[in-house]
Amino acid sequence: MQKHEQWERRWEIADLKSALSTLGRSYLCTTPSIRSRVQALLSPPEIESPESVPSDADTLIVAGGGTLIDRAKVFRKNNWPALNLIAVPSIWGSGTEVSPVAVLTRAKKDIHFSDDLIPDHYVVWPELAESAPAELLRFACGDVWSHALEAFCSPLATETIRKQAADLMNEIASYPLGFDARWFDASAAACLLQARSSVGLIHGFAHVLEPLLLSSAPNARWGHAKLCSTFLSPVLNFNLSRSPKVQTLATTFGLDLDKVQAVTKSLFDGQAYTAAMTVAEQHWDTIARDRCSRTNCILVRRDSLKYFQQFRISGAVA
Amino acid sequence: MENRQKLRDLLMEVLLLTDEEFSFDLKRERVETWDSLAVVAIAAGIDETFGYHFTPDEAVGINGVRDIITILEREGIRFAEA
Repeated sequence: MQKHEQWERRWEIADLKSALSTLGRSYLCTTPSIRSRVQALLSPPEIESPESVPSDADTLIVAGGGTLIDRAKVFRKNNWPALNLIAVPSIWGSGTEVSPVAVLTRAKKDIHFSDDLIPDHYVVWPELAESAPAELLRFACGDVWSHALEAFCSPLATETIRKQAADLMNEIASYPLGFDARWFDASAAACLLQARSSVGLIHGFAHVLEPLLLSSAPNARWGHAKLCSTFLSPVLNFNLSRSPKVQTLATTFGLDLDKVQAVTKSLFDGQAYTAAMTVAEQHWDTIARDRCSRTNCILVRRDSLKYFQQFRISGAVA
Repeated sequence: MENRQKLRDLLMEVLLLTDEEFSFDLKRERVETWDSLAVVAIAAGIDETFGYHFTPDEAVGINGVRDIITILEREGIRFAEA
């Protein structure tokens, strides 16, 4: 894995433990599922939410998934720019620990973009993900893939970004779609690539559908990573079917598109896709006009819905 | 379909314009939906429809429909008098 531009902010857990005495008054905010493991190694007092950090704090250590880290990033930027923020992702995928982007999910997705959102340090602590459910780990892999693939295809990508994204995808194509510590660094790298270019229609689907599915099917455990995994293969095939652009880029930058196709196909879940498309059909105009969809490498038109309806039926390239 | 019609369809689709709102003399400043994201979408659509990829300078320098036609005609893509 090549070092990315935020590598100097990267710590391992030993680095954080040894730095604790220099961070002033520190507080810890963790996702419940990993709280006992984090508290076993880190001593700062626990707080309930990023927003409840006491006024005497110098440092907030936030350990959890992308949603919690994004909340802390936005809180720090809007309310307390001097607060030292250290992000400890509990799973790979979002890459938010290195990203200038934060997404808050309310009635719809609220996207923030600023370099001031980037945490001061992030901690790679792979053991936190070891006990995560296999399904979540698999979706997290799909999240990384969607960032890398959409950065590669982005109309805003430079040649350098495309080369780095192609190299990254060629490397992660050999990773298992499950626990592997290397996914953490791959996730950070993929996130930075998309932050310097754009995402596309996979994220258009995910951003519009996530709040809708969370409210209409709360037990189905819809989340960003699951939606990205679900729409990876359909959107890749849509892009390939409309223009030779992606194929040409793959040839130019040495991306093994057959391997990418194989991975995205193995991440595809027809049942989940059918369920998501039921909602997507009703909100197609919103999806097609979403800001992410508008930077898709292929223009998303009103009649593009037909492709995705057919993909749902055939389960293969239409 | 002739190139004029293809361009008209593309811009109406991207910029969410009605028949009445579209004209070949349309300026970017007069279209609320012609924002920076629309510039990207138009570039993607031009590539898909006409096989020409705007350079970054061309993309940001487009101030209206006529500018798009001028660039495409320079690349040998012919438009009947609009």
